[in-house]
Amino acid sequence: MNTLAVKDWLFRNSTILMLCVILLLFGAFFWWLNNPALEHLFIVTCITLIFVMGFQLFMGNSGILAWSYIGFVGIGAFVSAICSMTPQLKQMSVPIMYPWLQNIHMPLPLALLVGALFSALIAAIVVWPIMRLTGAVGVITHFALLIVINVLLVQWAQVTNGPRNFTVGMRPLVGFWTVLISALVIMVFVYFFKQSSLGLRLRASRDDRFSASTSGVNVVAVRYFAFIISCAIGAYGGGLMAHFIMDFTGHTFYMAEFFVILSMIVIGGPMSVSGVFFGLILVAAGRYGLRQFEPFMTGYGFNMTGTTEIILSILMILFLIWKPYGISGGKEFGLETIQGWLKPLKKGA
Amino acid sequence: MSESSKLVVQGLGKSFEGLRAVDDVSFELVQGEILGLIGPNGSGKTTAINLITGLLSKTDGTVIIDGVDISAYPAHKIARAGLARTYQTIRLFKELTVRENVEVGAVGMGISRRNAAVTADRLLEELGIADQSDKLAKSLTFGDARRLEIARALATDPKFLLLDEPAAGLNEAETDALLAYLRPLPAEKGIGILVVDHDMRLMMNLCDELIVLNYGKIISKGTPAQVSADPDVVEAYLGSEARGGDEL
Ligand SMILES: Nc1ncnc2c1ncn2[C@@H]1O[C@H](COP(=O)(O)OP(=O)(O)OP(=O)(O)O)[C@@H](O)[C@H]1O
Ligand SMILES: [Mg+2]
Repeated sequence: MNTLAVKDWLFRNSTILMLCVILLLFGAFFWWLNNPALEHLFIVTCITLIFVMGFQLFMGNSGILAWSYIGFVGIGAFVSAICSMTPQLKQMSVPIMYPWLQNIHMPLPLALLVGALFSALIAAIVVWPIMRLTGAVGVITHFALLIVINVLLVQWAQVTNGPRNFTVGMRPLVGFWTVLISALVIMVFVYFFKQSSLGLRLRASRDDRFSASTSGVNVVAVRYFAFIISCAIGAYGGGLMAHFIMDFTGHTFYMAEFFVILSMIVIGGPMSVSGVFFGLILVAAGRYGLRQFEPFMTGYGFNMTGTTEIILSILMILFLIWKPYGISGGKEFGLETIQGWLKPLKKGA
Repeated sequence: MSESSKLVVQGLGKSFEGLRAVDDVSFELVQGEILGLIGPNGSGKTTAINLITGLLSKTDGTVIIDGVDISAYPAHKIARAGLARTYQTIRLFKELTVRENVEVGAVGMGISRRNAAVTADRLLEELGIADQSDKLAKSLTFGDARRLEIARALATDPKFLLLDEPAAGLNEAETDALLAYLRPLPAEKGIGILVVDHDMRLMMNLCDELIVLNYGKIISKGTPAQVSADPDVVEAYLGSEARGGDEL
């Protein structure tokens, strides 16, 4: 009886178990390769996975394209970096920084947490009115908010060093396992969020906000809380990124980065956690492959720089036209999916 | 639920740029009763339900549940105050499973997901669509979709249930099944039902009392027998037939 319940639970949640195993296998593989360049690629991809998961939590379940997300990721990056750096380091790196900011100092894990919470707090303060808006108006408003955040990050020199690089230090402060475990935990969280009460209400509001509200769902409130959670996750990822790449500006967390995240989500299928996971693997692998290809072709007299972005864009357009639910078709990939594949084979035999 | 709940609608009105879609509509609905709302196409029935459930802002009027004025409440608070509804044009959560659709109603009232699932399974059983539980709502047949909307509305454990053309698009057998399900519901669940439909056979057999709307105004009120004998009602319906009749 009890083992049956466990079996049933495992079957229903086979999706997340598989995703965790796949991610860990990738981790073990890249660890075993022991190649600095590929290890770097893996770590950046894991941080991107955190960005993608945080974004899926809101967009996938609410159906709202919230461009401003990446701005909140940037806030997390700066805040955590400012918190973790020693006053002396900040004096060297950002001499014009406000003295009271320079004097803040705390251990890295706490700094990452503060970055996430601070970003969530800013989101909580500014996004309530935006959450009423749906459709094109909502998208435009998020876009405008992103521009506001970006201008602040790029121009507020006494905090962010302005358009100049913000240097956190010499060597990466977060390592392979910190990033991998973070990505794993966040993926599990995002998967179960979808099934939670808040996740269910949010998905209902996505499918039909009128019948959601006449079913007792406070549509604005569920969007609001979900967006705050989404921002906290993204900002935590932003903090990891800041302490891994060690050198960035406000533009690091802007359109180009958002575009990559969006392409992963669109290609994977926004409504499915496993979909965006595989979307990320596909896009990350494809980008890596194409990047190798660019200089190669350039060597033969073609100028191929930027081809990767063009191919990614075209792919996204094609998906939006022909497969708006992405490779996942909006469903979660799990044991049931595999059973579905095996059925026709069995019949054929 | 209190001893005898009461929904009071007073002077309800709505203007759409000069068009008076609902005009000075007043009625009372008590627990245990089934009140029918009929009228030709475009007479303002759906608009009235949208006003009462907070999807449209009222131009005039008040709505009171058990002495509490809910006129200014947003839709989700009206739902929590005890008003549930279905839609003429079915509005399900298409990408959610059938069970999840019903769960939303319960979860919307602040019930945990675990308990919501129990409620959902019970209601799906009652409505005879338990075998569809794990399917996506978008894959349901029309008749099952109508039943799912009722299950979702009941999951909010309402005091009053407003049904907008629940029999539209159903065949005769399905309509009979609906009638058999709805008729005892007020007594079983202690709720009041306001139902809109064009199927007069259903309405005559289902409703304790009928209200007739024409051009947004109540033109007649009474038992089904009284209303069907009212010359004003006959006139309104004949007029509507001359304009092309009811398609549903
Ligand atoms: N959002 C709106 N904007 C403008 N006019 C509207 C709007 N909604 C409804 N109307 C108009 O209000 C009137 C009443 O419409 P309503 O849908 O309430 O009628 P109904 O009695 O439900 O009709 P039916 O039996 O066809 O469902 C119609 O003339 C309709 O065109
Ligand atoms: Mg109508």
